[in-house]
Amino acid sequence: MKSIKHHLMFILPLLAILLGIESFMVFGRVTASYGENLKKAYTILVVTRRPMTPEAFRKIDTNIDRVESVEKRSIVEQIAQGMSNASTQEILKSLPQFYTVRLNRYLSNAQIDVIKKHLTRDPNVRRVETFGQAHNANYNLYMLIRAALWMFVGFMVFTSLFLVVKQMEIWQLEHRERMQVMEILGASSVLRSGVLFRIALTDALIAALTTIGVFVFLRYGWVAGSEIDLLVRKQELFFQYKDVFVLFGIALLIVLISVVLVSRNVKEVRDV
Amino acid sequence: MSNVITTNRMTLAYDKGEKEIIRNATFRIKKGEFVFITGPSGSGKSTLLKSFYGQIIPKQGDLVVGGLEMTHVSKKNLQKLRTHLGIIFQDYKLINEWTVAKNIVLPLIIAGYNVDMQQTQAQRLLKHVKLEGKGDMYPLQLSGGEQQRVGVARALSKTPFLILADEPTGNLDEYSSNVIWDLMENACDQLGATVVVVTHRIPTIFNIPYRHFIIENGGIHEVH
Ligand SMILES: Nc1ncnc2c1ncn2[C@@H]1O[C@H](COP(=O)(O)OP(=O)(O)OP(=O)(O)O)[C@@H](O)[C@H]1O
Ligand SMILES: [Mg+2]
Repeated sequence: MKSIKHHLMFILPLLAILLGIESFMVFGRVTASYGENLKKAYTILVVTRRPMTPEAFRKIDTNIDRVESVEKRSIVEQIAQGMSNASTQEILKSLPQFYTVRLNRYLSNAQIDVIKKHLTRDPNVRRVETFGQAHNANYNLYMLIRAALWMFVGFMVFTSLFLVVKQMEIWQLEHRERMQVMEILGASSVLRSGVLFRIALTDALIAALTTIGVFVFLRYGWVAGSEIDLLVRKQELFFQYKDVFVLFGIALLIVLISVVLVSRNVKEVRDV
Repeated sequence: MSNVITTNRMTLAYDKGEKEIIRNATFRIKKGEFVFITGPSGSGKSTLLKSFYGQIIPKQGDLVVGGLEMTHVSKKNLQKLRTHLGIIFQDYKLINEWTVAKNIVLPLIIAGYNVDMQQTQAQRLLKHVKLEGKGDMYPLQLSGGEQQRVGVARALSKTPFLILADEPTGNLDEYSSNVIWDLMENACDQLGATVVVVTHRIPTIFNIPYRHFIIENGGIHEVH
Protein backbone atom coordinates (compact mmCIF):
# COMPACT_ATOMS: atom_id res chain seq x y z
CA MET A 1 0.00 0.00 0.00
CA LYS A 2 2.70 2.37 1.06
CA SER A 3 4.75 1.68 -2.02
CA ILE A 4 1.77 2.22 -4.34
CA LYS A 5 1.20 5.58 -2.72
CA HIS A 6 4.86 6.46 -3.17
CA HIS A 7 4.73 5.53 -6.83
CA LEU A 8 1.62 7.61 -7.35
CA MET A 9 3.28 10.59 -5.73
CA PHE A 10 5.79 10.61 -8.55
CA ILE A 11 3.57 9.30 -11.34
CA LEU A 12 0.77 11.85 -10.88
CA PRO A 13 2.82 15.03 -11.17
CA LEU A 14 4.75 13.49 -14.03
CA LEU A 15 1.46 12.62 -15.69
CA ALA A 16 0.24 16.19 -15.22
CA ILE A 17 3.38 17.50 -16.88
CA LEU A 18 3.15 15.10 -19.80
CA LEU A 19 -0.60 15.62 -20.33
CA GLY A 20 -0.04 19.37 -20.27
CA ILE A 21 2.76 19.17 -22.79
CA GLU A 22 0.82 16.87 -25.09
CA SER A 23 -2.30 19.08 -24.92
CA PHE A 24 -0.14 21.99 -25.76
CA MET A 25 1.32 20.23 -28.76
CA VAL A 26 -2.14 19.20 -29.97
CA PHE A 27 -3.55 22.67 -29.57
CA GLY A 28 -0.51 24.15 -31.27
CA ARG A 29 -1.09 21.85 -34.23
CA VAL A 30 -4.78 22.72 -34.39
CA THR A 31 -4.14 26.46 -34.42
CA ALA A 32 -1.32 26.04 -36.94
CA SER A 33 -3.59 24.02 -39.23
CA TYR A 34 -6.38 26.53 -38.87
CA GLY A 35 -4.02 29.41 -39.61
CA GLU A 36 -2.73 27.51 -42.63
CA ASN A 37 -6.23 27.17 -44.03
CA LEU A 38 -6.99 30.84 -43.50
CA LYS A 39 -3.74 31.78 -45.10
CA LYS A 40 -4.42 29.60 -48.14
CA ALA A 41 -7.88 31.08 -48.56
CA TYR A 42 -6.78 34.66 -48.33
CA THR A 43 -5.69 36.64 -51.42
CA ILE A 44 -5.04 40.26 -52.32
CA LEU A 45 -5.83 41.45 -55.83
CA VAL A 46 -3.23 43.73 -57.37
CA VAL A 47 -3.51 45.57 -60.69
CA THR A 48 -0.28 46.78 -62.27
CA ARG A 49 0.60 48.76 -65.40
CA ARG A 50 3.42 46.53 -66.58
CA PRO A 51 4.04 42.84 -65.78
CA MET A 52 5.77 42.20 -62.48
CA THR A 53 7.73 39.16 -61.29
CA PRO A 54 6.93 37.43 -57.98
CA GLU A 55 10.39 38.47 -56.76
CA ALA A 56 9.53 42.10 -57.38
CA PHE A 57 6.38 41.65 -55.29
CA ARG A 58 8.28 39.97 -52.48
CA LYS A 59 10.75 42.82 -52.48
CA ILE A 60 7.91 45.24 -51.80
CA ASP A 61 6.73 43.30 -48.75
CA THR A 62 8.32 40.24 -47.15
CA ASN A 63 4.94 38.82 -46.08
CA ILE A 64 4.08 38.13 -49.72
CA ASP A 65 4.38 34.49 -50.66
CA ARG A 66 2.93 33.14 -53.92
CA VAL A 67 1.91 35.43 -56.76
CA GLU A 68 -0.23 34.30 -59.68
CA SER A 69 -1.09 36.39 -62.67
CA VAL A 70 -4.71 36.23 -63.74
CA GLU A 71 -5.07 34.78 -67.23
CA LYS A 72 -6.61 37.55 -69.38
CA ARG A 73 -6.53 35.90 -72.76
CA SER A 74 -9.60 33.70 -72.32
CA ILE A 75 -11.66 36.59 -70.97
CA VAL A 76 -10.64 38.87 -73.77
CA GLU A 77 -11.28 36.20 -76.36
CA GLN A 78 -14.82 35.88 -75.10
CA ILE A 79 -15.53 39.59 -75.33
CA ALA A 80 -13.62 39.92 -78.58
CA GLN A 81 -15.48 37.21 -80.48
CA GLY A 82 -15.67 38.05 -84.16
CA MET A 83 -13.08 40.78 -83.92
CA SER A 84 -9.88 40.59 -85.86
CA ASN A 85 -6.84 39.09 -84.28
CA ALA A 86 -5.14 42.46 -84.39
CA SER A 87 -7.83 44.20 -82.37
CA THR A 88 -7.78 41.39 -79.83
CA GLN A 89 -4.07 41.95 -79.41
CA GLU A 90 -4.76 45.66 -79.08
CA ILE A 91 -7.24 45.11 -76.26
CA LEU A 92 -4.92 42.67 -74.53
CA LYS A 93 -2.09 45.17 -74.63
CA SER A 94 -4.16 48.03 -73.33
CA LEU A 95 -5.44 45.99 -70.38
CA PRO A 96 -3.43 46.22 -67.16
CA GLN A 97 -1.94 43.17 -65.45
CA PHE A 98 -3.96 41.37 -62.76
CA TYR A 99 -2.33 39.39 -59.95
CA THR A 100 -3.60 37.42 -57.03
CA VAL A 101 -1.15 37.65 -54.17
CA ARG A 102 -1.01 35.18 -51.24
CA LEU A 103 0.65 35.79 -47.92
CA ASN A 104 3.09 33.51 -46.13
CA ARG A 105 1.26 33.70 -42.83
CA TYR A 106 -2.01 34.70 -41.35
CA LEU A 107 -2.15 38.44 -40.65
CA SER A 108 -4.53 40.79 -38.94
CA ASN A 109 -6.47 43.45 -40.86
CA ALA A 110 -4.13 46.14 -39.62
CA GLN A 111 -1.10 44.24 -40.86
CA ILE A 112 -2.78 43.75 -44.25
CA ASP A 113 -3.38 47.49 -44.45
CA VAL A 114 0.35 47.98 -44.07
CA ILE A 115 1.01 45.62 -46.98
CA LYS A 116 -1.56 47.50 -49.03
CA LYS A 117 0.23 50.75 -48.27
CA HIS A 118 3.56 49.26 -49.32
CA LEU A 119 2.07 48.04 -52.58
CA THR A 120 0.36 51.29 -53.51
CA ARG A 121 3.60 53.19 -52.97
CA ASP A 122 5.05 51.36 -55.98
CA PRO A 123 4.55 53.53 -59.11
CA ASN A 124 3.86 50.46 -61.25
CA VAL A 125 0.90 49.43 -59.06
CA ARG A 126 -2.37 50.93 -60.13
CA ARG A 127 -4.77 49.41 -57.70
CA VAL A 128 -4.79 47.12 -54.67
CA GLU A 129 -7.91 45.34 -53.50
CA THR A 130 -7.88 43.75 -50.08
CA PHE A 131 -10.75 41.93 -48.43
CA GLY A 132 -11.65 42.23 -44.82
CA GLN A 133 -10.71 39.17 -42.78
CA ALA A 134 -14.03 37.50 -42.23
CA HIS A 135 -12.37 34.86 -40.05
CA ASN A 136 -10.56 37.36 -37.94
CA ALA A 137 -12.81 37.11 -34.90
CA ASN A 138 -12.61 33.35 -34.99
CA TYR A 139 -8.90 33.39 -35.26
CA ASN A 140 -8.51 35.85 -32.41
CA LEU A 141 -10.57 33.56 -30.25
CA TYR A 142 -8.23 30.73 -31.14
CA MET A 143 -5.21 32.76 -30.17
CA LEU A 144 -6.86 33.75 -26.92
CA ILE A 145 -7.59 30.12 -26.05
CA ARG A 146 -4.03 29.25 -26.93
CA ALA A 147 -2.66 31.93 -24.63
CA ALA A 148 -4.96 30.75 -21.84
CA LEU A 149 -3.83 27.18 -22.40
CA TRP A 150 -0.22 28.32 -22.35
CA MET A 151 -0.74 29.85 -18.94
CA PHE A 152 -2.66 26.89 -17.65
CA VAL A 153 -0.14 24.34 -18.87
CA GLY A 154 2.72 26.49 -17.64
CA PHE A 155 1.14 26.70 -14.22
CA MET A 156 0.46 22.97 -14.16
CA VAL A 157 4.01 22.08 -15.17
CA PHE A 158 5.41 24.46 -12.61
CA THR A 159 3.27 23.08 -9.77
CA SER A 160 4.01 19.54 -10.82
CA LEU A 161 7.73 20.20 -10.80
CA PHE A 162 7.32 21.29 -7.21
CA LEU A 163 5.65 17.99 -6.40
CA VAL A 164 8.44 16.12 -8.16
CA VAL A 165 10.98 17.97 -6.03
CA LYS A 166 8.96 17.08 -2.92
CA GLN A 167 8.99 13.45 -3.94
CA MET A 168 12.74 13.68 -4.42
CA GLU A 169 13.13 14.82 -0.86
CA ILE A 170 11.18 11.78 0.29
CA TRP A 171 13.39 9.57 -1.84
CA GLN A 172 16.40 11.20 -0.35
CA LEU A 173 15.30 10.16 3.13
CA GLU A 174 14.22 6.73 2.01
CA HIS A 175 17.33 5.86 0.09
CA ARG A 176 19.88 7.79 2.08
CA GLU A 177 20.80 4.94 4.38
CA ARG A 178 21.29 2.40 1.63
CA MET A 179 23.20 4.81 -0.60
CA GLN A 180 25.55 5.76 2.21
CA VAL A 181 26.23 2.18 3.24
CA MET A 182 26.91 1.32 -0.38
CA GLU A 183 29.26 4.27 -0.70
CA ILE A 184 31.28 3.24 2.37
CA LEU A 185 31.57 -0.23 0.87
CA GLY A 186 32.94 1.25 -2.35
CA ALA A 187 29.96 1.19 -4.73
CA SER A 188 30.11 3.53 -7.72
CA SER A 189 27.53 6.30 -7.93
CA VAL A 190 25.79 4.48 -10.80
CA LEU A 191 25.31 1.40 -8.65
CA ARG A 192 24.29 3.45 -5.64
CA SER A 193 21.51 5.25 -7.50
CA GLY A 194 20.58 2.18 -9.55
CA VAL A 195 17.61 1.20 -7.40
CA LEU A 196 16.25 4.72 -7.35
CA PHE A 197 16.76 5.03 -11.09
CA ARG A 198 14.82 1.83 -11.73
CA ILE A 199 11.93 3.02 -9.57
CA ALA A 200 11.83 6.42 -11.21
CA LEU A 201 12.16 4.94 -14.68
CA THR A 202 9.23 2.59 -14.08
CA ASP A 203 7.13 5.53 -12.92
CA ALA A 204 8.16 7.59 -15.92
CA LEU A 205 7.22 4.77 -18.30
CA ILE A 206 3.82 4.42 -16.63
CA ALA A 207 3.19 8.16 -16.86
CA ALA A 208 4.30 8.36 -20.50
CA LEU A 209 2.27 5.32 -21.53
CA THR A 210 -0.82 6.67 -19.76
CA THR A 211 -0.48 9.99 -21.56
CA ILE A 212 -0.06 8.23 -24.89
CA GLY A 213 -3.04 6.03 -24.06
CA VAL A 214 -5.26 9.02 -23.31
CA PHE A 215 -4.43 10.78 -26.56
CA VAL A 216 -4.57 7.65 -28.70
CA PHE A 217 -8.03 7.10 -27.28
CA LEU A 218 -8.95 10.71 -28.03
CA ARG A 219 -7.81 10.31 -31.61
CA TYR A 220 -9.16 6.87 -32.48
CA GLY A 221 -11.99 6.53 -30.02
CA TRP A 222 -13.49 9.85 -29.20
CA VAL A 223 -12.63 12.00 -32.22
CA ALA A 224 -13.09 9.31 -34.86
CA GLY A 225 -16.38 8.27 -33.30
CA SER A 226 -17.67 11.80 -32.90
CA GLU A 227 -20.08 13.17 -35.45
CA ILE A 228 -18.16 16.41 -35.62
CA ASP A 229 -16.94 16.51 -39.18
CA LEU A 230 -14.28 19.13 -38.53
CA LEU A 231 -12.72 16.96 -35.82
CA VAL A 232 -12.89 13.77 -37.83
CA ARG A 233 -11.07 15.42 -40.70
CA LYS A 234 -8.39 16.71 -38.36
CA GLN A 235 -8.01 13.62 -36.18
CA GLU A 236 -4.35 13.15 -37.07
CA LEU A 237 -3.67 16.36 -35.17
CA PHE A 238 -4.69 14.75 -31.89
CA PHE A 239 -1.88 12.29 -31.69
CA GLN A 240 1.15 11.77 -33.83
CA TYR A 241 3.73 9.07 -33.53
CA LYS A 242 6.53 11.54 -33.03
CA ASP A 243 4.78 12.59 -29.82
CA VAL A 244 5.82 9.21 -28.37
CA PHE A 245 9.44 10.26 -28.59
CA VAL A 246 8.80 13.72 -27.21
CA LEU A 247 6.87 12.33 -24.22
CA PHE A 248 9.34 9.55 -23.46
CA GLY A 249 12.19 12.01 -23.92
CA ILE A 250 10.74 14.51 -21.47
CA ALA A 251 9.84 11.81 -18.93
CA LEU A 252 13.34 10.35 -19.15
CA LEU A 253 14.90 13.77 -18.79
CA ILE A 254 12.90 14.52 -15.64
CA VAL A 255 13.86 11.13 -14.20
CA LEU A 256 17.53 11.57 -14.97
CA ILE A 257 17.65 15.04 -13.47
CA SER A 258 15.74 13.90 -10.36
CA VAL A 259 17.95 10.88 -9.73
CA VAL A 260 21.18 12.77 -10.29
CA LEU A 261 20.03 15.52 -7.92
CA VAL A 262 19.03 13.02 -5.24
CA SER A 263 22.25 11.05 -5.37
CA ARG A 264 24.29 14.23 -5.35
CA ASN A 265 22.47 15.37 -2.24
CA VAL A 266 22.93 12.04 -0.49
CA LYS A 267 26.63 12.66 -0.43
CA GLU A 268 28.55 10.63 2.01
CA VAL A 269 28.97 12.45 5.29
CA ARG A 270 32.70 12.64 5.13
CA ASP A 271 33.64 13.86 8.55
CA VAL A 272 36.40 16.34 7.85
CA MET B 1 56.80 -7.78 5.25
CA SER B 2 54.95 -4.81 3.82
CA ASN B 3 52.93 -2.32 5.82
CA VAL B 4 49.20 -2.26 5.35
CA ILE B 5 48.63 0.79 7.57
CA THR B 6 51.25 3.44 8.31
CA THR B 7 50.64 6.60 10.29
CA ASN B 8 53.06 9.38 10.98
CA ARG B 9 52.22 12.01 13.59
CA MET B 10 48.57 11.72 12.57
CA THR B 11 45.95 13.95 14.20
CA LEU B 12 42.21 13.33 13.79
CA ALA B 13 39.48 15.89 14.48
CA TYR B 14 35.87 16.41 13.41
CA ASP B 15 34.66 19.50 11.56
CA LYS B 16 38.10 21.08 11.62
CA GLY B 17 37.16 21.54 15.27
CA GLU B 18 39.43 22.43 18.11
CA LYS B 19 38.94 19.11 19.83
CA GLU B 20 41.52 16.66 18.59
CA ILE B 21 40.29 13.10 19.08
CA ILE B 22 43.64 11.48 18.26
CA ARG B 23 46.92 13.38 18.52
CA ASN B 24 50.27 12.66 16.92
CA ALA B 25 49.72 8.96 16.39
CA THR B 26 52.63 7.09 14.82
CA PHE B 27 52.45 3.34 14.22
CA ARG B 28 52.65 0.65 11.56
CA ILE B 29 50.49 -2.41 11.01
CA LYS B 30 52.04 -5.07 8.83
CA LYS B 31 50.41 -7.45 6.43
CA GLY B 32 48.86 -10.43 8.19
CA GLU B 33 48.99 -8.93 11.67
CA PHE B 34 46.12 -9.11 14.13
CA VAL B 35 45.62 -5.94 16.17
CA PHE B 36 43.28 -5.30 19.08
CA ILE B 37 42.44 -1.71 19.96
CA THR B 38 40.92 -0.98 23.36
CA GLY B 39 40.19 2.18 25.29
CA PRO B 40 37.45 3.93 27.23
CA SER B 41 34.18 4.89 25.62
CA GLY B 42 34.51 8.08 23.61
CA SER B 43 38.29 7.78 23.41
CA GLY B 44 38.28 7.70 19.59
CA LYS B 45 38.44 4.01 18.66
CA SER B 46 35.68 4.24 16.06
CA THR B 47 37.16 7.49 14.81
CA LEU B 48 40.50 5.80 14.23
CA LEU B 49 38.84 3.03 12.21
CA LYS B 50 36.96 5.65 10.18
CA SER B 51 40.26 7.17 9.17
CA PHE B 52 41.38 3.77 7.85
CA TYR B 53 38.47 3.56 5.43
CA GLY B 54 38.55 7.21 4.44
CA GLN B 55 35.49 8.43 6.28
CA ILE B 56 37.57 11.02 8.09
CA ILE B 57 40.72 12.66 6.74
CA PRO B 58 43.66 13.34 9.07
CA LYS B 59 43.90 16.96 10.05
CA GLN B 60 47.67 16.71 10.33
CA GLY B 61 50.31 14.11 9.64
CA ASP B 62 50.22 11.17 7.26
CA LEU B 63 48.15 8.06 6.89
CA VAL B 64 48.80 5.39 4.27
CA VAL B 65 46.37 2.49 3.87
CA GLY B 66 47.04 -0.23 1.32
CA GLY B 67 49.56 2.04 -0.39
CA LEU B 68 47.16 4.99 -0.67
CA GLU B 69 47.91 8.38 0.91
CA MET B 70 44.59 8.94 2.61
CA THR B 71 45.13 12.70 2.81
CA HIS B 72 45.20 13.02 -1.00
CA VAL B 73 43.36 9.95 -2.21
CA SER B 74 41.17 10.35 -5.30
CA LYS B 75 37.53 9.35 -5.24
CA LYS B 76 38.20 6.54 -7.67
CA ASN B 77 41.06 5.06 -5.64
CA LEU B 78 39.16 5.37 -2.39
CA GLN B 79 36.25 3.51 -3.97
CA LYS B 80 38.59 0.77 -5.13
CA LEU B 81 40.26 0.49 -1.72
CA ARG B 82 36.91 0.18 0.01
CA THR B 83 35.85 -2.75 -2.16
CA HIS B 84 38.89 -4.64 -0.79
CA LEU B 85 38.13 -3.90 2.86
CA GLY B 86 35.93 -5.88 5.23
CA ILE B 87 34.32 -3.35 7.53
CA ILE B 88 32.22 -4.30 10.55
CA PHE B 89 30.39 -1.31 12.01
CA GLN B 90 29.51 -0.74 15.62
CA ASP B 91 25.93 0.07 14.52
CA TYR B 92 25.96 -2.74 11.89
CA LYS B 93 24.84 -0.49 9.01
CA LEU B 94 22.64 -3.12 7.42
CA ILE B 95 20.19 -2.23 4.66
CA ASN B 96 16.83 -2.83 6.28
CA GLU B 97 14.78 -3.17 3.10
CA TRP B 98 17.02 -5.97 1.84
CA THR B 99 16.97 -9.59 2.95
CA VAL B 100 19.73 -10.91 5.18
CA ALA B 101 21.18 -12.91 2.29
CA LYS B 102 21.30 -9.88 0.03
CA ASN B 103 22.90 -7.80 2.78
CA ILE B 104 25.61 -10.39 3.19
CA VAL B 105 26.56 -10.40 -0.47
CA LEU B 106 26.46 -6.61 -0.94
CA PRO B 107 30.25 -6.56 -1.48
CA LEU B 108 29.80 -9.18 -4.21
CA ILE B 109 27.01 -7.15 -5.79
CA ILE B 110 29.29 -4.12 -5.79
CA ALA B 111 32.06 -6.19 -7.35
CA GLY B 112 29.65 -7.40 -10.04
CA TYR B 113 29.59 -11.13 -9.20
CA ASN B 114 26.82 -13.14 -10.85
CA VAL B 115 23.71 -14.22 -8.97
CA ASP B 116 24.75 -17.88 -8.72
CA MET B 117 27.99 -16.93 -7.08
CA GLN B 118 26.13 -14.59 -4.73
CA GLN B 119 23.74 -17.34 -3.66
CA THR B 120 26.39 -19.97 -3.01
CA GLN B 121 28.45 -17.50 -1.04
CA ALA B 122 25.42 -16.33 0.95
CA GLN B 123 24.57 -19.90 2.00
CA ARG B 124 28.17 -20.62 2.99
CA LEU B 125 28.46 -17.46 5.08
CA LEU B 126 25.07 -17.90 6.75
CA LYS B 127 26.35 -21.25 7.97
CA HIS B 128 29.62 -19.70 9.16
CA VAL B 129 27.84 -17.17 11.36
CA LYS B 130 25.23 -19.70 12.50
CA LEU B 131 22.30 -18.05 10.77
CA GLU B 132 21.22 -20.95 8.56
CA GLY B 133 17.66 -20.59 7.38
CA LYS B 134 17.49 -16.87 8.11
CA GLY B 135 18.67 -15.69 4.69
CA ASP B 136 15.20 -14.67 3.57
CA MET B 137 14.40 -12.65 6.67
CA TYR B 138 14.90 -8.91 7.00
CA PRO B 139 17.40 -7.35 9.42
CA LEU B 140 14.72 -5.82 11.63
CA GLN B 141 13.27 -9.30 12.19
CA LEU B 142 16.54 -10.38 13.80
CA SER B 143 17.88 -9.85 17.29
CA GLY B 144 20.73 -7.39 17.84
CA GLY B 145 23.26 -10.19 18.09
CA GLU B 146 21.97 -11.80 14.91
CA GLN B 147 22.19 -8.50 13.04
CA GLN B 148 25.74 -8.15 14.23
CA ARG B 149 26.58 -11.56 12.77
CA VAL B 150 25.04 -10.50 9.45
CA GLY B 151 27.43 -7.55 9.53
CA VAL B 152 30.35 -9.89 10.16
CA ALA B 153 29.30 -12.21 7.34
CA ARG B 154 29.07 -9.25 4.97
CA ALA B 155 32.55 -8.08 5.89
CA LEU B 156 34.00 -11.54 5.18
CA SER B 157 32.07 -12.22 1.98
CA LYS B 158 34.70 -11.09 -0.47
CA THR B 159 37.91 -12.18 1.32
CA PRO B 160 39.19 -8.70 2.16
CA PHE B 161 42.90 -8.00 2.58
CA LEU B 162 42.13 -5.78 5.55
CA ILE B 163 39.35 -6.32 8.09
CA LEU B 164 38.30 -3.34 10.22
CA ALA B 165 35.95 -4.46 12.97
CA ASP B 166 34.29 -2.13 15.46
CA GLU B 167 33.06 -4.11 18.49
CA PRO B 168 32.18 -7.20 16.42
CA THR B 169 31.07 -9.11 19.51
CA GLY B 170 29.57 -6.20 21.41
CA ASN B 171 26.09 -7.69 21.41
CA LEU B 172 26.92 -11.36 21.53
CA ASP B 173 26.96 -14.01 24.22
CA GLU B 174 30.00 -16.14 24.98
CA TYR B 175 29.15 -18.81 22.42
CA SER B 176 28.41 -16.43 19.51
CA SER B 177 31.45 -14.34 20.38
CA ASN B 178 33.65 -17.38 20.08
CA VAL B 179 32.16 -18.14 16.67
CA ILE B 180 33.14 -14.65 15.53
CA TRP B 181 36.64 -14.83 17.03
CA ASP B 182 37.19 -18.14 15.27
CA LEU B 183 36.18 -16.56 11.97
CA MET B 184 38.55 -13.64 12.56
CA GLU B 185 41.44 -15.88 13.54
CA ASN B 186 40.82 -17.94 10.47
CA ALA B 187 40.68 -14.93 8.15
CA CYS B 188 44.04 -13.80 9.51
CA ASP B 189 45.76 -17.13 9.86
CA GLN B 190 44.46 -19.05 6.84
CA LEU B 191 43.56 -16.28 4.39
CA GLY B 192 46.38 -13.91 5.32
CA ALA B 193 44.14 -10.92 5.99
CA THR B 194 45.29 -8.08 8.21
CA VAL B 195 42.77 -7.59 11.02
CA VAL B 196 42.17 -4.54 13.21
CA VAL B 197 39.54 -5.10 15.89
CA VAL B 198 38.16 -2.53 18.30
CA THR B 199 36.82 -4.24 21.40
CA HIS B 200 36.27 -3.49 25.04
CA ARG B 201 37.33 -6.99 26.05
CA ILE B 202 40.07 -9.08 24.46
CA PRO B 203 38.97 -12.74 24.42
CA THR B 204 40.60 -14.87 27.09
CA ILE B 205 41.31 -17.70 24.72
CA PHE B 206 42.93 -16.49 21.51
CA ASN B 207 44.94 -18.89 19.43
CA ILE B 208 47.11 -16.66 17.25
CA PRO B 209 49.62 -13.95 18.12
CA TYR B 210 48.24 -10.43 18.28
CA ARG B 211 49.23 -6.86 19.09
CA HIS B 212 47.33 -4.62 21.46
CA PHE B 213 46.96 -0.83 21.17
CA ILE B 214 45.33 1.30 23.83
CA ILE B 215 43.82 4.70 23.08
CA GLU B 216 43.73 7.09 26.01
CA ASN B 217 43.43 10.86 26.20
CA GLY B 218 44.07 11.21 22.50
CA GLY B 219 47.27 9.16 22.57
CA ILE B 220 47.85 5.68 21.22
CA HIS B 221 50.32 3.33 22.80
CA GLU B 222 51.07 -0.31 22.33
CA VAL B 223 51.01 -2.85 25.17
CA HIS B 224 53.86 -5.33 25.00
N1 LIG C 1 30.51 12.53 13.57
C1 LIG C 1 31.05 13.13 14.65
N2 LIG C 1 31.14 14.47 14.71
C2 LIG C 1 31.70 15.09 15.76
N3 LIG C 1 32.21 14.44 16.82
C3 LIG C 1 32.18 13.10 16.83
C4 LIG C 1 31.60 12.36 15.75
N4 LIG C 1 31.70 11.04 16.02
C5 LIG C 1 32.31 10.96 17.21
N5 LIG C 1 32.60 12.18 17.70
C6 LIG C 1 33.28 12.46 18.96
O1 LIG C 1 34.57 11.89 18.90
C7 LIG C 1 34.90 11.30 20.14
C8 LIG C 1 35.32 9.86 19.91
O2 LIG C 1 34.24 9.13 19.42
P1 LIG C 1 34.35 7.61 18.98
O3 LIG C 1 33.05 7.22 18.40
O4 LIG C 1 35.54 7.45 18.12
O5 LIG C 1 34.59 6.90 20.38
P2 LIG C 1 34.75 5.37 20.68
O6 LIG C 1 36.09 5.20 21.29
O7 LIG C 1 34.45 4.56 19.49
O8 LIG C 1 33.63 5.15 21.78
P3 LIG C 1 32.73 3.86 22.06
O9 LIG C 1 33.58 2.87 22.78
O10 LIG C 1 31.65 4.37 22.94
O11 LIG C 1 32.24 3.37 20.76
C9 LIG C 1 33.69 11.44 21.03
O12 LIG C 1 33.95 12.50 21.94
C10 LIG C 1 32.57 11.79 20.10
O13 LIG C 1 31.71 12.69 20.74
MG1 LIG D 1 32.97 3.35 18.91
